[in-house]
Parts: sequence; C-alpha cells; structure tokens
Amino acid sequence: MGYTKEEKAMIWLDGLALDYAKKAQLLHAFRDPYEIVARFSERESEIGGITGEKMLHAMRASLEGGGAAALLESYRAAGVSCVTCFSELYPEALRAADNPPFVLYCRGNTRLLRERKFAIVGSRRTPPQIAERAKRIAEGLSGPFAIVTGHADGGDTAAISGALESGRLICVLAFGFAHVAQAENAALLEKISERGLLVTEYVPAQPAQRYTFPARNRIIAGLAEGVLVVSGGERSGTRITARHAYDLGRDVFAFPYAIGDPAGAGCNKLIKDYAKLTENLVDITSVFGINLTEKEAAPLTGAEKRVYDCLGAEPVHTSRIAAQAGMKEAELSPVLIMLAMKKRAVSCGGNRWARI
Amino acid sequence: MLSKVASFALSGLDGVPVTAETDINNGLPSYELVGLPDAAVKESRERVRSALKNSGRKFPLSKITVNLAPADVKKEGSAYDLAIAVGILKATEQLKADLNGVVFLGELALDGALRPASGILPLLISAKAAGYKKFVIPEGNAAEAAYIEGIEVYAAASLSEVIDHLSGLKPLSPVPVRAYESGAKGEYKFDMAYVKGQATAKRALEVAVSGGHNILLVGPPGTGKTMLARCIPGIMPDMTFEEALEVTKIHSVAGILGAGGIVNVRPFRSPHHTATTVSMCGGGTRTVKPGEISLAHHGVLFLDEMPEYHRSALEALRQPLEDGVITVTRSGGAVTFPANFMLCASMNPCPCGNYGSADRVCTCTPAAIRKYRSRVSGPLLDRIDIQVEVDSVKYDDLAGDAQEESSAQVKKRVERARAIQRERFRTSENNSDMGERELKKFCALSKECEDILRMSFESLKLSARARSRIIKVARTVADLAESESIRPEHILEAVSYRRYDNMA
Repeated sequence: MGYTKEEKAMIWLDGLALDYAKKAQLLHAFRDPYEIVARFSERESEIGGITGEKMLHAMRASLEGGGAAALLESYRAAGVSCVTCFSELYPEALRAADNPPFVLYCRGNTRLLRERKFAIVGSRRTPPQIAERAKRIAEGLSGPFAIVTGHADGGDTAAISGALESGRLICVLAFGFAHVAQAENAALLEKISERGLLVTEYVPAQPAQRYTFPARNRIIAGLAEGVLVVSGGERSGTRITARHAYDLGRDVFAFPYAIGDPAGAGCNKLIKDYAKLTENLVDITSVFGINLTEKEAAPLTGAEKRVYDCLGAEPVHTSRIAAQAGMKEAELSPVLIMLAMKKRAVSCGGNRWARI
Repeated sequence: MLSKVASFALSGLDGVPVTAETDINNGLPSYELVGLPDAAVKESRERVRSALKNSGRKFPLSKITVNLAPADVKKEGSAYDLAIAVGILKATEQLKADLNGVVFLGELALDGALRPASGILPLLISAKAAGYKKFVIPEGNAAEAAYIEGIEVYAAASLSEVIDHLSGLKPLSPVPVRAYESGAKGEYKFDMAYVKGQATAKRALEVAVSGGHNILLVGPPGTGKTMLARCIPGIMPDMTFEEALEVTKIHSVAGILGAGGIVNVRPFRSPHHTATTVSMCGGGTRTVKPGEISLAHHGVLFLDEMPEYHRSALEALRQPLEDGVITVTRSGGAVTFPANFMLCASMNPCPCGNYGSADRVCTCTPAAIRKYRSRVSGPLLDRIDIQVEVDSVKYDDLAGDAQEESSAQVKKRVERARAIQRERFRTSENNSDMGERELKKFCALSKECEDILRMSFESLKLSARARSRIIKVARTVADLAESESIRPEHILEAVSYRRYDNMA
C-alpha cells in the first residue's frame, strides 16, 4: 500500500512516545505533519519547546535511524497496515469522537472502515440465551452494516461469532498488535484478521492497560452509527461505550432485563436514560429505515413445538419441561438438542434451558 | 541332615516357586539365611526360633544354613516363616513326615501361632497351575483359599497344629470348597431409589454402565455427585466367578482382602485428590503393589473433583483407560496388573461452583471458567464418553416422596443391554471397546442419522474427535431401547452427552 509523504510523517509522529495533546499541538503548529519532518533541524527550538529536550533528542535519533520508512517496514513485516486521518479510508464518523486517533493500525480488510457500521457490545457475564440473541442480531445486521465490537468474552464474542461468517466485522483492540498472540482468545482474533478487520489506535508495542479499555470504547462508539448494548451490570464498561455514542448523537439500543437481574442492571438504566428498548432485529433496522426481516426459523416437528412452548426467556429446568410437555426426561433430551441445533433453544447450564 | 520344603514367592499377580533348603551341620551354633532375603525375611530367624521353642520343639544348637532357592530372586515378606520352621524340624528329624509336594505359606508369631499373609489366593492359583496339590496355610487365609477347586488346602492356627497334622497325630481336614455366590443382594449401601430427582444424570449413568462408558458428572458442590457415583456398582451386572477371582487376586496382593475371602461385589475406589501417580498406577520400591486403578478392576474408579488431582496422576490414566492393563516397570522387572475399570469423575462447573445454578449467581468470568476446565486435559476428556450435568436439588424434591426407581430395576435393563452386546461381540467386550472395524460393522448409520450427526457437529461446534464416541454411545442407547439399528433420537441423546465439549 502506498502512503503519501504526509501520511508517512503522520505515522512517524504517531509512533513517538508522546501523549495525544502534544502530538495535536505539534500538528496545530505545523498544519502538515510532513513539515515537521522536512524542516526538523530548521525549527528544532520550536519543536523542543513543545516536546521537551529529551523527546527532541529521541525524535532526532529516530529521524536519523530511518524515520517513517524504518517504522513502516517493521509494520509491514508484522502484517500491520496504517490508515491515517489523511487517508480516504479514514471513517468520517470517527472524526467527531473525542481525540480521534491520528492513525488506525489495521490487520485485515481495511475497506470495511468505509462501510456503514453498527456496534454491538456486551459485558463478559452475558447469560447464554442473551448471547444467542446477540449473535442472531449480529448475523442479521452484518448484511447492511459492518459490525463493530470489542474482543472480550461474553457479549462481544457473541457479536463476533454472529458476524464472523460474513466477514463484515470490525473488532477494536485495546492494545497493540504485538500483544495479539498473547491474548486469551488469540486464535479467534487471528480468524477475525483473516475474514474481517482488527483495528487499534495503539502502536504495536502498546500493551493493554486499565485505561486503554475505556479509551478503546470511544472508538467503538465513534465508528458506529448506532450501538446495541446486549448486557452490562451497573458498573460495566459497556455503559461507557453507550455514553460516548449518546454524546456523539448516535442511536443507542439496549436489551431489557428483568428487575434485579445483575447481568442487565446497566442495560435497564440505559433504557431509562436514553437507549431504545430492543427485542429484535426490526427494532434496530426500523430506526435506520432498512427493510430487513429476521431469517425464517427452521420449522418444528410436533414434539419439538410442544417442548418449545414450554420454554421461556428465563431458563427452565428439564424436569419442569418434561412435566409440562408430558414426556419422560430421557425422551426430552433428544428434542432439546434438536431445538438447540435449530437455534431455537439454548442450554443455560445446570440442566436448564431457555428459548431464543 | 538336609531338608527341602516348598513355598511360593509373589511376583506381581503371579507366584514363583521357592524352595527352602535347610542344612544342619556340626560346628559353632549359627544361623545363616541366604537367597537374597530382605529385612523381613532375615528377621524370620527370631520368629522361627521362638515359635519352635514355644511350640515345644527344639531349635538346634548347630550351624544352620537356610537357602531360599532360586537364589537370584529377591525374597520379600514374612510368608516363608512356616516353610523355614518346617524345614528345620525336618532337618533335625523332629518331624519325619514326607513333605514332598506340599507347599507351606504363612507368618509365625513368637508363640507359634500362624498369622495370615497377603497374596495367598494368587499364590495358590499359580501353585495349582504348577502342579502342586497340597497346601498348608494360616487359618486366616482359609476363606480366600476355599474358592479354588481341585487342591487340598489345610488351614492351621499354629505351628503345633501343622506338626500334629504332618506327623499324623491329629490330621486336619481340608478346607471345604465354597461355591461362588455373587454378593449383590443387599450388599450395596447406595441405591438409586434414595437419589431424588436427577433424572438426566441417572439416565446417563444407566447408559454409561450399559456400554462400559466412562462418565463425567459436572455440578455445583452438594448436588449429590458423589452419591450418584456410589450408586454405580449397584447397577452394574453381578460379578462372574472369573471376574471375582481376578479382583480377589489383586486385593489379596494388596493385602486389603476382607474377611469374606473373595471380593464378590464390584469394587468402588475413590482415591483422595492428593493421590500420587504411583498410588494410582501401582509401584513401590521393593514389591510392586497394585495401584488404585487395579484395585478398581471390574469396578468403578471415582475421582471426586477431578481438576484437583495432580496433572501427572490424571495423565497416567490415559493408557490404562485404553488398554485395560497397566504395566509397571521397575529396575527389578516389569509387572502387569489388570486395570479394566469404569472411570467416573466429578467436577464443579466453574471455580465458584455456581455456574448454571438457579438460585445462586456465578461470579466467575468466562476466562476463569476456561482455565478451571482446562486443568483436565483434552486427551483425557476425550476418553470420557459421557458428560452430564448434575444440578442443585430443591428442598421440596428431597422432602417429597415421589417414588424413584431402584437400582435393581435399572440393573435389569443394564443386564439386558449387556446381553445384547455379548451376543454381538461374542466376547466380554462392551460398546465402548469398539474399534474402527467394529464401528463400521455394527454401527452403520442411516442417511437421516448421518445428516443429524453432521448438523450437530456444525451447529454445536463439537470436536471431530467426538464423532466415534458419539456413535458408540448412540449404539448403547439403541441397545437399551432394544433397537437393532441406531435411530436419530439415539444419536441426539448421545450428542446431548457431549455438550460439555463446546462449553469448555
């Protein structure tokens, strides 16, 4: 991929160990990042005034060591491509976010950045039946939208598994690419980079820190036209994503939960405040004026229908299902497995099942 | 004078003939014991001396040499006492009987009483095979010896009784042969009838026992996993005499044989999770003793809280689970013990134990749950055909008097399913032992079943390795339903026992 000299300078500048404000200050002073590189020695004192003496030396050493070219070479070797704020691939919507990243480090299909995007996020403790619903919505929405999400277990992973098949998936990382291999779900991330897109604002060497996760959430919100929060407790990070989206004037959607359910207290609070109560795909698509119906569910046989009718949104124990459906438990388990295969029921642990 | 007395040494589960040769010479009084004796054998001198004296016989004031031949086999334990004592009596002509072809086994007390020795049953069986017909053993071992036909076993309480018997003064009568009786009637303390609810788990146990499949019970603490596991021996078919004899041999060698003389109920072994690899598989520095997996031969090995066991102890189970035997190799030689057991393991669903609980909240993150579950390795989980969830029981269920099926009723169905398998394989093999060839031959799947199986792999994300396991379990489910062919519902039930795969 070719970069303009402007972009190269931007990438070099972004790779420096400077905080965001100082980089912004430099850009403001020079208008064009290439100016900083081209007239470095000329305006050294001015640059030093912003960055400090120590950083100035580091910048000089970096320029002498090859500057952007060396950096780009190392990124290329690691399979990382860069989309700078000067690139036409850079998503416009993101520019509205707080501190929009100067450079997006990418692995995978960068063209997804210019598609319509919708974010689906959830906490790590997402009940299995909710995860299945989230997965189904992600699958449905991955037609008109590229699905944006994080990389945590639970809600995020449900969104990933729903959209991965179509490849229309953007996963925003809270760390640099050098740390992907050590991640808990490295294999999954690898798959996403093959079929969809992994994005991060961090240089490859940046490890995950406490603060990188909320900062990452502002990018998820900034990228997407709307955000669906599938689960989240009172203090869940998903509420930060929702807050950012709300502040940017994007649509926020949330699944409703039962009173007192700790897995969804945050979702209910969002609905009270500003989020749209969402039960199915149409609740979302109607807002965007998209005409999309849910996929026709697989037809059920007589016994399957009988068992399905005994299931609810809340998990029910097999003994109760058996009693209600008038079956022996031994007869019940094949039917339940068949329902699970048809994506109509999900096991919630402890021999309890819920409808999806 | 020289005398020769026959005895036997234990090597693994087999007996090796040993001759105690005693020679009395003139010279300074001394006692020399040769033939690679260990400390316990060497100390026999003091026991023999006192026992002879206290039985009213003389311990000669001469130069005594005792050789335990063959001289290059290590001799261990105290079971040679009797043979040495009789040898000395014979050599000093205090005893004039013909000892040819008589095998002496037993430990002596200082007062001349005979103490029971471990491993008598396997020794008798080997000796019988070697052509010996007459045996003198301690009274305490009479019960186990009573099950062997075609030999004369004399059980004596003391050395004097042995002498009186040999000299014809007061002959003992041979131990009467006892007919084998399987002890299933009322011997099992735990009955399915006492386990309330848990229909899914009970059904899974029934399938597991019918096809000889290993089973994993997953559930929060206090849900009755242990109780369910303890019910397993009660629904297994009665032990045949051959099986009982095999198990008794092992228990006899381990020295844990009860007063009954023969193990006629299925063993249930539940080693603590601190168990070492050696205690699981067998071993030991001098004598190679059978481990827990061999003691569970033809029975159940129950590993409560499987992830808590040492990784190495668990991994060591893999090979015996496949082969049904364990070969313990030591520098002194290799010993093979049978280890054909049914593995029943239990574990919590997550570190806090509340995953899937209806009324308590699980506080574990998915990562923590994955980590906990990964403590049981994939290859070991692969050898466990059936995985089933056991859930917490409500107070009302426990208090209610709903009639639950008894173990005897379940056992009837199990025995029918086993009979079908015997018919099929014409050996003692179970469905779980099927190889690829048998799978092809006996488990042909209809197009409909194939489709369902493929669909289940795709939508439930099962590992490909699970395929043959699922088919084997489906075969067992079909056998329980007395169905000639495997039908879709059988496949689906088998699939439901693999759900744990994709959760981990």
